[in-house]
Amino acid sequence: MKWSLTHGFTMTLSVSSETRARPSWLAEQANLIGLAAIIILFWVLFTSLAPGFVSSFNLFALSRSLAVDIVIGFSTMVVLATGGMNLAIGSIGVCAVMASGFLMQTIGLPIPVALALALLLGAFLGWLNGFVIVRSGVNSFIITLASASLFLGGMLILSKAQTFNALPPEIAAFGRMRWWGFVSPLLFVAIGLGVALIILFRFTALGREILAAGANARAAELSGVPVGRAIIIAHTLSGALAASAGLMLVFRLGAAMPSIGQDWLLPSFLAPVLGGTLLAGGYVSVVGTMLGALLVTTIRSGLLVMQIGNFWLQLFLGLILLFAVMLDRYRSVYAERRSLGRKNAGRRA
Amino acid sequence: MRLTIEGIGKDFPGVTALDSVSFEILPGETHALMGENGAGKSTLIKIITGLYRPDRGRLLVDGQPVDFTSPRDAIAAGISAVHQERNLIPRFTVGENIMIERPPTRNGVIDFDKVHAEARKFLDMIDPSIDTRTEVRHLSVAQMQIVEIAKALSLEAQVLLLDEPTASITGHEADALFAVVRRLRDEGKAIVFVSHKLEEVMAISDRVTVLRDGRIAAAGEPIANMSRGKIVSAMIGREERVAEMGTRAVDRSKTVLEARSLATSFGHKDVSFELHKGEILGLYGLVGAGRTEVARALIGDGKVTAGELRLNGQSVTIPDVPTAIRRHKLGYISEDRKAEGLILTHPIRSNIAISVWRRIASKLGLITRAAERKVADPLVAKLEVKTPSIEQAVGKLSGGNQQKVSIAKWLAAGVEILIIDEPTVGIDIKTKTAIHELIGEITRGGVSVLLISSDMPEMITLADRILVMNDFTLVGTIENSRRYETMSREIMGFIHADAEAGHAATHG
Amino acid sequence: MTNNMTLGQRFLANEWSALAVAIAIGLVTLAVLSPAFLTEFNIYVMLRSFCVVLIVAFAQMLTLAVGQMNLSVGALGGLVAIAVGGMMEKWGFPVPVAVLCGLVIGAAGGLINGLLTVRTGINGFIITLATASAFTGINLGITESIPFYNLPASFVAFGTERFYALPYLLLPPVLIAIALAFFLARTVPGRQLLAVGGNPHAAELSGIPRDRVIVMAHTLSGLLAGAAAILAVAQLGSAQPSIGVDWLLMSFAAPIIGGAALTGGHISVAATALAVVLIVIIQNGMVLAKVDPYWVQFLLGALILAAVGLNRLRAVRAGGA
Repeated sequence: MKWSLTHGFTMTLSVSSETRARPSWLAEQANLIGLAAIIILFWVLFTSLAPGFVSSFNLFALSRSLAVDIVIGFSTMVVLATGGMNLAIGSIGVCAVMASGFLMQTIGLPIPVALALALLLGAFLGWLNGFVIVRSGVNSFIITLASASLFLGGMLILSKAQTFNALPPEIAAFGRMRWWGFVSPLLFVAIGLGVALIILFRFTALGREILAAGANARAAELSGVPVGRAIIIAHTLSGALAASAGLMLVFRLGAAMPSIGQDWLLPSFLAPVLGGTLLAGGYVSVVGTMLGALLVTTIRSGLLVMQIGNFWLQLFLGLILLFAVMLDRYRSVYAERRSLGRKNAGRRA
Repeated sequence: MRLTIEGIGKDFPGVTALDSVSFEILPGETHALMGENGAGKSTLIKIITGLYRPDRGRLLVDGQPVDFTSPRDAIAAGISAVHQERNLIPRFTVGENIMIERPPTRNGVIDFDKVHAEARKFLDMIDPSIDTRTEVRHLSVAQMQIVEIAKALSLEAQVLLLDEPTASITGHEADALFAVVRRLRDEGKAIVFVSHKLEEVMAISDRVTVLRDGRIAAAGEPIANMSRGKIVSAMIGREERVAEMGTRAVDRSKTVLEARSLATSFGHKDVSFELHKGEILGLYGLVGAGRTEVARALIGDGKVTAGELRLNGQSVTIPDVPTAIRRHKLGYISEDRKAEGLILTHPIRSNIAISVWRRIASKLGLITRAAERKVADPLVAKLEVKTPSIEQAVGKLSGGNQQKVSIAKWLAAGVEILIIDEPTVGIDIKTKTAIHELIGEITRGGVSVLLISSDMPEMITLADRILVMNDFTLVGTIENSRRYETMSREIMGFIHADAEAGHAATHG
Repeated sequence: MTNNMTLGQRFLANEWSALAVAIAIGLVTLAVLSPAFLTEFNIYVMLRSFCVVLIVAFAQMLTLAVGQMNLSVGALGGLVAIAVGGMMEKWGFPVPVAVLCGLVIGAAGGLINGLLTVRTGINGFIITLATASAFTGINLGITESIPFYNLPASFVAFGTERFYALPYLLLPPVLIAIALAFFLARTVPGRQLLAVGGNPHAAELSGIPRDRVIVMAHTLSGLLAGAAAILAVAQLGSAQPSIGVDWLLMSFAAPIIGGAALTGGHISVAATALAVVLIVIIQNGMVLAKVDPYWVQFLLGALILAAVGLNRLRAVRAGGA
């Protein structure tokens, strides 16, 4: 009974457990370099086709949305680490957004207090997800699908879908703030979170335990890792990160809107998957997620500047995701064949 | 139909699973296939049923070479298997499961009356009491087996392979199954009977083939020529001498673990034993005797429902595995290294350090690679793990080296009691000795070991005392004389005595 | 053991018994509380909103049956909706031709999902997440979010006309439900589909082509998504590019409330239909009670959790017995 939850995860997510080994250090770097090369290619392309792409205004806009995309990606990434998923990221994000709006505008709490409470709410909703998943042993897909609806519905009932647009002026001012004329401080917040996540997953017992639980829950448990706790903490973290992404949008928009978060599902998976994080769990790439987000933001911004418009964007993003997962798949199959071939050759010799 | 296995060989990375295996299966016989864990039985079964293709040698059906690329081919050639894992669709009826290959249709619509009528025909041949309209999920394991046999018959199987058919059914159900087996044999079918249980093999087989370490140890010997002793020595290997462990002086004055009349959620009854400091206590039993489950109950991965567990004289209850490890210094090495032992995709470094992450973290809660290596490096060197780098993914190591990493993990954790389950499954002979020496060495360092194994020579090489388990109870305890002949006879004696209607054990 | 249960026990053991009870309670409560509930028009309204949701739920149910999922039901529906609308408005295709083309597009989209899943061996979740985005992209790229309004009158009429309380629109879903139930219960491919979901390994050993069955499930799922989209166009009287955006939750909710397991092999046409009835009653109740429509969203989430919890409990009890 105890293990059914891990089975659940594998069943929905594992791409094929044995064949998808954690990439070697070299392969990992190659993946990142490849991703960076594609990004540079797009930058060259967009710059030559539409000089406005590198205008300081566009770079500023790009840096702001990049910040949000990175954090959304992180939010999914930390749950993918356990081999689960979180479909409630958008809902948790908007709950935190509306809570912050309510606390600042209606209650009039000081900004830092309101933001902290909103983050806490996000973390709590994430914890709730994790707790129910671990306790019930039901697949994270179903639980977070249901809780996404529950959280969003609850928020809409409480807020009556009213936008909070009389927030303290500092909010919008911070959102408009530019460093060196072309970059939003929000981007540094996102990078800061990235550094913290790198430290978590590389250098802390907790982060390592989350990864171990994702790679092989049974072996981790028998080695003394509290697997249930690791999963709950990963979901709590995911909730807090979703809330952070939502609050970044509040800064950017200068208002707390109930429509925030509804289009997060695709980007939340795009960034980590493009960056090489394994769906099956046990391996994350923080830098990869950041680069994945950069690729998505670049394409979105480029298409906008070239006035191809948002309409075709979805098609591009979908195709890129397909392309990325297929490339990854064939690369691992190819690598496997080669190593098998080598072994056989070795035996014959 | 005559099935000839001719010089079959099969390699896996690092191991030769089968090497020039030849024997013949004849119509109208029950042919037992025996061998210890890792002897190559399951690989051979997979080759015969078309799941694997042999690297060398060939199969012949009635003298004609055949090449199976899938189970479909084997079935088409008249070879069906009833595997250990149930291959039925739980929510389909018995009838539909039997007829699933080619359900009778009328105008493109499945004719369920005919499905049940046809299924009835095959079921009646063996067990008329099962209703074809029951959903399979409501059946007992024994009934499911009958359904699978009926399914094989409906496929006109001439060779029927039964893989450990009595592993999870009662004695009474087994008798009914054997009656079916005899009837089918008398009708001219060839039955390949794979089992660990000597009694069964002696009772229903006509001939027996024994595999050992991927080779033939006895090929199609008529059962009349075989005694239990002969089969056992064929399985275990007479020539395999018991390695010299050196003198082991165990101080029996200090008991580290004591089980008093334990009963568990797995079904153990009245399990009592003592483990002394620095001792290797063997727990021997055939597959399915409930050995691994004892380990799982001890480490908190199963429930102790009655009795008392004492560690170092203190009565304890262990609610979960982390508590067993951290508080009670009790570790467990699973027989299934891949699924339960190691994180194959992670490097050696973190597989060893996983059990001590919390301890080696700095004041800020950070673990550095250097800190992990400080733990792992000396162990990798000491245990002579052969690897290009400590950053190598464990999945890329050979079985023996993987096992060394498992042991290193527990040495790192500083366990005082280590339960080792089948330490040398799938490990080649040379490395086996190294693992045995390693286990001996860790006990000299003060660790007490509960050794679970169905490998008799291993048991006699390593253990100081041997507990014998059968059907979830302990049936005997033997002081190890390290004289192979007498020891193996004594151990099997306990198991036979228990198996034969539960009479009191007598030394055979 | 099943034989000596009383009728009542047998009813309770049935997996959709809780659903039937919930529906009965809902019906009685609403009938008592609201005089408007049992009026002919309100029944017509409920039945009309039942149609699209039911087929959307079936579309997801078929992928769940083989242990897959289809996140692109809504996106594919949107694409089919605007394709059918465009063919009728811009190209002047006759209604049957446009409908047929729409169904083909739906099935083709599903076929792509199935082939990509099977050929690459990548999880259906991520594949259909990607194709969903691609389908939506094509939809928006073609329409630039502008709906097709000028549809043939006969087509629009089909979406609104009724026979007493019975909307004409109800006819296709009922036929589809019957056909699907028959397909799953009595035909070889239907049984193979359930067999693959029930025990993939056993199915494969029994000579059922697992990959082909998975592709078939995805294709049928796409076909049904297309059918749902065409009905949605008829119901709305215009081909909105936004058709399908809110299908995802509903598509999973109904089969799961109906007891389907994500692991496959366990679905029921009847239970899924009952779940849709329950959802429609709740929606209608919210409207009649004049509460926030947001409550529907909230309750749907709660309902899924409750259903999952109930199934879990039942499984644990069955396992312990």
